[in-house]
Amino acid sequence: MKLSKCLKHALNMMIHSKLRSWLTIIGIVIGVSSVIAIVSIGEGMEQSLNAQIDDLGGDILTITPGFSRSGDKHFRYLPTLSTQATDDETVLDRSDIQALKGIPDIDLIDTQIRGNVDVSYRGETGSLSLTGVDQKVWSKITTEDIRDGRMLDSADQNVILIGASLADNYFDQTLGINKVINIEGSSFRIVGIMDDQSTNVIMPIQMAYQVLDDKEKDIYDSIVVKIRDEENLDVVVEKIEYKLMITRHVTESDRDFTVTSNVQIMEMRSEMMSSVSLFLTAIAAVSLLVGVVGITNTMFTSVLEKTKEIGIMKAIGARNRDILTIFLFNAGLIGLVGGIIGVILGIFISEALPYLMGDLTLASGGTIVSLNVVILALSISVLVGMFAGVIPAYQGSKLKPVDALRYE
Amino acid sequence: MEPTDTLLNFENVWKIYQMGEVEVPALQGIDVKIKKGDFVAIIGASGSGKSTMMNLIGCLDVPSKGRIFLKGQDISQLSESDLATFRGKTIGFIFQQYNLIPTMSAFENVMLPLEFQEENDSIASKRTREILEFIGLSDKMHYLPSQLSGGQQQRVSIARCLVTDPEIILADEPTGALDSVTGENILKMLEKLWREKDKTIIMVTHDLNLAKYANTTIELKDGEIIRIQDG
Repeated sequence: MKLSKCLKHALNMMIHSKLRSWLTIIGIVIGVSSVIAIVSIGEGMEQSLNAQIDDLGGDILTITPGFSRSGDKHFRYLPTLSTQATDDETVLDRSDIQALKGIPDIDLIDTQIRGNVDVSYRGETGSLSLTGVDQKVWSKITTEDIRDGRMLDSADQNVILIGASLADNYFDQTLGINKVINIEGSSFRIVGIMDDQSTNVIMPIQMAYQVLDDKEKDIYDSIVVKIRDEENLDVVVEKIEYKLMITRHVTESDRDFTVTSNVQIMEMRSEMMSSVSLFLTAIAAVSLLVGVVGITNTMFTSVLEKTKEIGIMKAIGARNRDILTIFLFNAGLIGLVGGIIGVILGIFISEALPYLMGDLTLASGGTIVSLNVVILALSISVLVGMFAGVIPAYQGSKLKPVDALRYE
Repeated sequence: MEPTDTLLNFENVWKIYQMGEVEVPALQGIDVKIKKGDFVAIIGASGSGKSTMMNLIGCLDVPSKGRIFLKGQDISQLSESDLATFRGKTIGFIFQQYNLIPTMSAFENVMLPLEFQEENDSIASKRTREILEFIGLSDKMHYLPSQLSGGQQQRVSIARCLVTDPEIILADEPTGALDSVTGENILKMLEKLWREKDKTIIMVTHDLNLAKYANTTIELKDGEIIRIQDG
């Protein structure tokens, strides 16, 4: 029998067992759509992260007190973990600044402290993260962009910059330039709104010492430096580490500070994202596998149900390979239809999911459904469909006509 | 060498079924020759081996012992695939329960054997139309089997059997599921095919009244031929 005829009969078979075919197709749809959605969201996140890495500039280093010896080099760069490793005596202070100033590769040095503060505005209150920065330097180092207003100025006193999310959504009323909010009992005027999605508050470090009671003057939570030449990043990191180890009287074995580059953090985050993405894809692949088992099951039932028809076809001249091809095409068609619907649904989910999840960072990165993924998904669905149908189809083709005809 | 007018030759054919540990012989040393252009009725009571013999003649099964020559070809020497092609071209089946594919229209059912023979589409359609006209069902060719009466379904099955222009028509209780009038019409159609189209017809039946249409009657009992009657 010609292949086109086999295809026609396979299609006829699928159309005439609607319910069972559709139930099987749903299995494939779920598998394929989740793979498409997860892969495209993953690609979107990766691209968004890569864009962020590009924005960061590779010339910024952050020095934090504490040093994690977990053994995994990645975790050394996690500032939160490093900070947790800090004990009371391990601090960054003026002497470290002095030491850093002696390194000619360093262009700018910004000192920062961080803490949570109670903020109130027109009767509403909330707890927010506050960062105190050296306002003379910060505006030259930061990668933040200003949406409204201006950066901090060296003469600024009771003024703050806030994140866009805090400005737009945090309180019932939006916060604009020159609005005054209350932080830990003191009033601060908003001079700028950053072009990000954070609820962070940035203020001059001297004011932050007053607001954050537990912070001691001239003790810093982190020191951010901008180096002169990005190309020398690794060399400068080594120089800083060497110099600080001398001035802090520590060696490699009892080191109590960490030098992190922003690029490293982002690369690590990107790596983590890839792992998460891979993990989710694996889960989606499992549902695809369940779909494949569904097709196999359907095909076995189908062959059993069509035993008599197989007998009739053999009696009127069908060869084994004709029967095999018809059933294989039937399984492949179920895979293909499932694949097509799955791809469409997957694209829809991947478009809608970032908004449904309300993750604006994700939404801003968008999702990317590449043609490659679509083609791959379709070919895989047809192949797995046919693969799932191989054994049942083979069994059907091997039926002896006399036995098949007798089957009721 | 077989005589040229012998179409089918059974040489000491045995068919033994294994039922658990017991061997049940369904056919025991059958020797028979069927000539081209014969109308043979194979008769016998239930369990006499009629159906087994029918399956062997139709190349749907192979003998346990002995040899069967169809058109001089020893069928046990053929591969499954060659046997299917040989069967498709040489033998047309008419079954008691019509055995049409329920999801295909009358037209598609009739055309199916030609599709297995990879016949050109336009030739196959033309031939299918002609056959359906010949058996008087040209107005119902797009009906599904379930939309046709028993007699009409049997005519579709005869059309399917004729479409490949086979030398042998093998009919297994062709009127078994039909009322006597319709059954008689079907038999007249077979007789017409035999007389006008020079087909060899082998019919299995338990109905002695139908056997009178045949020119040769083979009577089976307990897997053995007890009588061959000509005329």
